[in-house]
Amino acid sequence: MKKSLPLKQVIPWAKALLLLLVLSLLETSVFGQGRTITGIVSDAQTNETLPGASVLIKGTTKGVSTGIDGKFTTTLAASENTLVVSFIGYETKEVIVGAENNLTIQLTAMRTTLDAVVVVGYGTTKVKDLTSAITTVKSADLVKTPSSQPMQGLQGKVAGLQVVANGGPGNSSTVRIRGIGYFPGVSNESPLYVVDGMFFDNIDFLNPSDITSISVLKDASALAIFGVKAASGVVLIETKSGNYDQKTEVSYEGYGGYQYAQNVVKMANAEQFTTMALESGSAADKTSIDMAMQRYGRSRVNPNVPNINTDWYNEILRPALIQNHSFNVGGGGSKAKYSIGANYFSQEGILDMKNEYQRFNLRAKVDIKATNWLTIGGNVVLSDATKYSEQAGAWNQAYFAVPILPVYDPLNTAAAPIDFANAKDIGYRDSQNPFPALTYNTDRMRINKTLANFYMEFNLIPKALTFKSSYNHSYTSLEQRVINLPYDIGQGVANLTSDVTKAFSTYSDHIWDNVLTYTKQIEKHNFTVMAGTSYRDDGYQMVRAQGEDFPTDPEQSWYITQSGTIPVAGVGDGGYRQYGLSYFGRIAYNFDNKYLLYATYRADGSSKYQEKWGYFPTLGAGWVLTEEDFLKNNSTVSFLKLRGSWGKLGNNYVQATTGALTSDVVKWPFGGVVYNGTISNSTLSSLKWELTEETNIGVTARFFKERLTADLDYFIRITKNAVIPVSVPGTRDVIIKNAGEIKNSGFELSLSWADQVTDKLSYSIGGNISTLKNEVVDLYGQPYIDGGSAEFRQRSIVGEPLMAFFGREVIGVYQNQSEIDADSVAIINGLVPGDLKYKDQNGDGIIDDDDRVVLGSYFPSLTYGINLGLTYGNFDLSVNMYGQNGNKVLNRKRGEVIWTPGLNMDADLAENRWHGEGTSDFYPSSAGLRKGWNQKMSDFFVEDGSFFRIQNVQVGYRINGKKLFGGNFPETKISFTADRPLTLFKYHGFSPEVANGIDSQTYPVPSTYTVGLNVKF
Amino acid sequence: MKRKSIFIQFAILAISLLVASGCEKKLDELAENQTYTSGTDYTKTSDMIKPLIGIYVKLSATEWENYPLISVRGDDVNAGGLGDQQDFSETDKFKYNKDYWMYNSVWQNHYIKITNSNSAIEQILKYKEFASNKALADQYIAEVKVLRGYWLLQLSRIWGAIPIPMDPDPTTLYVAPLSTKDEVMQHISDQIDEALPFLVDLRPNERTDIPGGVTKHTALAVKALVNLELKNYQKVADATGEIIKSSKFTLEPDFYNLFKIKGKLNNENLLEMQYSDLGSGTGDNYSYLYAFFGPEGWTPKVAGAGGGWGFFEPSIKYIKFMLNRGEVTRLQTSVLFTDRGIAEIKKDPAYLNLPSWISKTTPSGDVLNDYARAMFASGKHYLPSELLTPGRTDYGTNQNMICIRYAEVLLMYAEALTQNASGSAGSADDAVNAVRNRAGLSSISGVTNAQVMDEKFAELAMEWGTRFYDMVRLGKTEELSYEGRSFATDKTFLPYPQAQVDLLPILKQN
Repeated sequence: MKKSLPLKQVIPWAKALLLLLVLSLLETSVFGQGRTITGIVSDAQTNETLPGASVLIKGTTKGVSTGIDGKFTTTLAASENTLVVSFIGYETKEVIVGAENNLTIQLTAMRTTLDAVVVVGYGTTKVKDLTSAITTVKSADLVKTPSSQPMQGLQGKVAGLQVVANGGPGNSSTVRIRGIGYFPGVSNESPLYVVDGMFFDNIDFLNPSDITSISVLKDASALAIFGVKAASGVVLIETKSGNYDQKTEVSYEGYGGYQYAQNVVKMANAEQFTTMALESGSAADKTSIDMAMQRYGRSRVNPNVPNINTDWYNEILRPALIQNHSFNVGGGGSKAKYSIGANYFSQEGILDMKNEYQRFNLRAKVDIKATNWLTIGGNVVLSDATKYSEQAGAWNQAYFAVPILPVYDPLNTAAAPIDFANAKDIGYRDSQNPFPALTYNTDRMRINKTLANFYMEFNLIPKALTFKSSYNHSYTSLEQRVINLPYDIGQGVANLTSDVTKAFSTYSDHIWDNVLTYTKQIEKHNFTVMAGTSYRDDGYQMVRAQGEDFPTDPEQSWYITQSGTIPVAGVGDGGYRQYGLSYFGRIAYNFDNKYLLYATYRADGSSKYQEKWGYFPTLGAGWVLTEEDFLKNNSTVSFLKLRGSWGKLGNNYVQATTGALTSDVVKWPFGGVVYNGTISNSTLSSLKWELTEETNIGVTARFFKERLTADLDYFIRITKNAVIPVSVPGTRDVIIKNAGEIKNSGFELSLSWADQVTDKLSYSIGGNISTLKNEVVDLYGQPYIDGGSAEFRQRSIVGEPLMAFFGREVIGVYQNQSEIDADSVAIINGLVPGDLKYKDQNGDGIIDDDDRVVLGSYFPSLTYGINLGLTYGNFDLSVNMYGQNGNKVLNRKRGEVIWTPGLNMDADLAENRWHGEGTSDFYPSSAGLRKGWNQKMSDFFVEDGSFFRIQNVQVGYRINGKKLFGGNFPETKISFTADRPLTLFKYHGFSPEVANGIDSQTYPVPSTYTVGLNVKF
Repeated sequence: MKRKSIFIQFAILAISLLVASGCEKKLDELAENQTYTSGTDYTKTSDMIKPLIGIYVKLSATEWENYPLISVRGDDVNAGGLGDQQDFSETDKFKYNKDYWMYNSVWQNHYIKITNSNSAIEQILKYKEFASNKALADQYIAEVKVLRGYWLLQLSRIWGAIPIPMDPDPTTLYVAPLSTKDEVMQHISDQIDEALPFLVDLRPNERTDIPGGVTKHTALAVKALVNLELKNYQKVADATGEIIKSSKFTLEPDFYNLFKIKGKLNNENLLEMQYSDLGSGTGDNYSYLYAFFGPEGWTPKVAGAGGGWGFFEPSIKYIKFMLNRGEVTRLQTSVLFTDRGIAEIKKDPAYLNLPSWISKTTPSGDVLNDYARAMFASGKHYLPSELLTPGRTDYGTNQNMICIRYAEVLLMYAEALTQNASGSAGSADDAVNAVRNRAGLSSISGVTNAQVMDEKFAELAMEWGTRFYDMVRLGKTEELSYEGRSFATDKTFLPYPQAQVDLLPILKQN
């Protein structure tokens, strides 16, 4: 039997066809020479006219804006029949012009950003109903930043979020939400990332273009539902999905460009270096200068300087390529929606070696309305990356390496296979040249991550009760291969045998969530009640082995089994299996959208700790003042909400403890034969949950018809039972105990203003600022806990920030002999002019370690971001800026002089050294640099880390409605991006952006310039 | 139909919740990849040796900083390493910094070894319950006690009064009293007396179960060392006399090579830390960080051999002392020269004409180049490059470090006798001359205590701070005040490490 189309479906088609027919007739007869259209634009609800609304003829760049009375006049050509009418705060409307020449167009006020849906744990809510601090960043803002790391795009955009780039390609950024609330070293500082319901420690496997939105959850009221790992904050990530009843949309987004090192430290050149060496008074240094002149000749410019002037940073840096290509397809019918994508990212490092990162991602998500009571869906993200890590040591080697050493030295006949120069040949202790390590060592990591999930959602009572069961699995395989090829550069600096280390690790994590949600409205009372369980099973396995002496050519022979020797000590394995079980629930209630109440509770069980269960409640409340009579429909204040929350959070990133006595197996040769023994441990760590209590007070406000938005938050976060290392007397054993208390507090303010000036011109300006105060409250009665190294002490003292830099305070430089003679400290310590003068903090007339004070913290006390946007016709411009203040950086590169005098230094230090009365009141003399007195940890080594940076500048041009080969040209945008083109700071290094504040081998953050192309059809 | 689907849904829901709560017992799973002491099978008594081996590993696998801090303060040696580890150099000059990391580290290292020893004794006792050969358990425990005593000796010589850990659990230190140095020494001596009946009467290198392990003679030597500290010279004479009379030990005729490969498990050794590259140029290497002692710049006979950090510089005072005595063998063995060092000696007109053998080239053909950090290097911590196993390049690797040797036993015996103790193992002359003759010096007779002390200086320089502790014991502060230093008795002990004072209030009183 022949199937015929049902009438219902035929009618719309027929109508459309008819319309087209009519239009084409009209075109020829009536509008042959174009026609003039007039109209008036008004608010659909109030009928107020809207002045300044944009009226654009679709498919062209022709447009006008409405006058003060809301009226407009425009001319349509024969082929044109649609107007696009838009106005800020209203939904854009397309009007097909029929026979009527005088139009009345009504615009509907936009469902405001306050109605936007926010993802919260195990559910969603609307912005206006929130009682907590959540900031959401959309995909469009993320993809502006050319980076492998999605979090990098958030830098400066979210108040209270600190993102520190770790420059090497593929290295994940350090992310801190509202400071750190645990003791460094015992815990992982990263927030919890929840990607489509699955928990991750980092999201370095995701391409920014895989993501729809990132929500940063900041306060306890939002976090507590994730109880278990929420103490460092939670970042919720939704990958792209399709929409029901949406036509298929295919898009390509791509960019390519170059990265250049910026703010490269200027090092002392050969002449400055020689001056410093001769001034040092060290015979050995003078000898080295002489040896360099003998070996490499004398400079023709200055015959007392060797004829070599190597700029080591220049040698090890290179411009590096970055590119990204992604394809996404999304859409849906009435019963199913889908989204699939593929993307490729590749980035070279700016370090001149095999240092690069490549990633290929595949992604698919589908949701199916199987019946009216059952929705089933699933999601797979597959990420396949290869990372060649940098030899990080090169960054400080290039700092120390003397400029009178060349990269290559044909006289170095001992060197093989490449004639790299060796500083030992000119009398230095070390070989210095970074190139052997850059050339002969590689560290390759293959990273495969799969995230898969499957869910079933049962609609038990329509629009009221749903039950959702979802199962998530993430599987990570890391395959690391470290190769050290043999080389010799003479003088005992050699790696005589090839060496391969391979480590294979897998992480297999499962989460099974079951959630029941009930929504009910009784008159003005609105309830949402949720209850659920979550079961977690995290497994990790690692095997490592090493081989020495394998054939080095070709690369296919780089296997352990091809090695001559397989050392037993190189074999190791490890693993864990941890289980967790949680019960949780939430009640969200609002009365007449005026009074909001919010409560969640989570009970978490973990196999990791001796005290298995932790309980995490939270309460939040909000009051929407603009719903009250006295503020309702206020012309200035469009929305005003006061909110407050309190809650408790858990932190299970703290390392697991055995809670039992354990033994170590040890091996040692006696009489040349290896014996096995055991050493049993008699100290016992027993842990329970680290508990963080947070109170947050905030205001959410919108002014001037939502042109101006403002969010203000104040928080106090106190980590109780903070797990801290407690030293056991007389041993190096440090047991960890829940015995500390750490406090973080601060203000966060976000403001933004957006306006449309004319139909073509609109702009936005936004900013955020946050303060942070980190303070140790208690350390189990210990006055302090030392950290850092003995030479560069960091100390966590009660009442001070965690791991504060701790040392002496420089108050000047002794300028002349009479100043020395007048100072008993100088006499006792045998000081000379050019030595540092320290402050006698305790006033006992002696300068010793008791005169050390806190020199500052690596946490910025103030961070801020500024975002500007401008659209003019088809052009758009965006500028993001970011800055921080109040953090200190330990210039550990300068500090290296403590161990090895005679090495190179930055030009600033060389030029501004003390070299005679009045030449410097902060830098010691060249001789002084080598003196123990001046090498004590002091603020000579600890510098101001404040900086301001132009984070990202993007200019885009949109090509719309052009014809190509007779068809419609797809929606296309071409953009130029300068990422981090300019950073301003006082610090003497590449960048003061150092995650832990210690700059020894920090990978410099490059400036990136790219050209991008987006095509959508 | 609809009712049925709701029923199915609720069934799924109920099952999900049930399964989830069934998962609760998973929370009690033990952590993976651990050896649980509670899981040890003490009936497997063949494993009883393992805790003992563990303690021997603690002896050899020692942290590099222990030896430097124990040994640096005497007039035989200077810190060297100029420009690096400033506070180490200050310590050598008797300017102490309680915050210096090395003090705390050495304190911790020794306390760890001692609490590990206490723990090992506890473990062995658990095996003993099931052991058929209970005497063997007693012997193992006795061996641990001797090593524990040796470490306590080091601690108390550095810091004087210390708390003695008596329990495997270090937190008991919170309530431990402070024992004076004499009390610590007496405690060690008593512990050794307890141990002696159970120890084997062998030379350490005669042991086949653990080559180089502690024997009765090692115990006696440690007993002599602690009684020397107590100036209990009769006990010193008794203990050393017993070792001498056993006739088990001989002086290695080749003094130079005693501190090289030949010294490994030598008949002269009573206690040594053992290292090995297992005879192979690649693969596992159990090594001490000799680079600390090595010359910073050198041209090794075997190209590619690595140099060192230039610390631990024999003093000019010692060199001149040896030159005055006409010593060749012992000076050549103990000191490596550089041209800069030789020039420095010659600045003293009395030493303008040095023996021709004094040169920057070692007897084994390695050449020291001038380097900034020191003028001389310790020859007793030097392994000639030609003795390295081909393929190995780390300075000094594969060399053992001797802790107590027979020459010291002989000289302690002589010292005790010249301090009016009576001995039954021959005369002080016999003991001193045995040592002198081996070093190529002629015999002397009627030795005085001063001569014995000189002999100890010559023989044991650069070894374990023996010289410093001897001079302190005899109150010869003038000897230690040399080359610009000024020693006073209040500088005998290092200040307690600040980190430990913070932990143990009892240390504050001092």
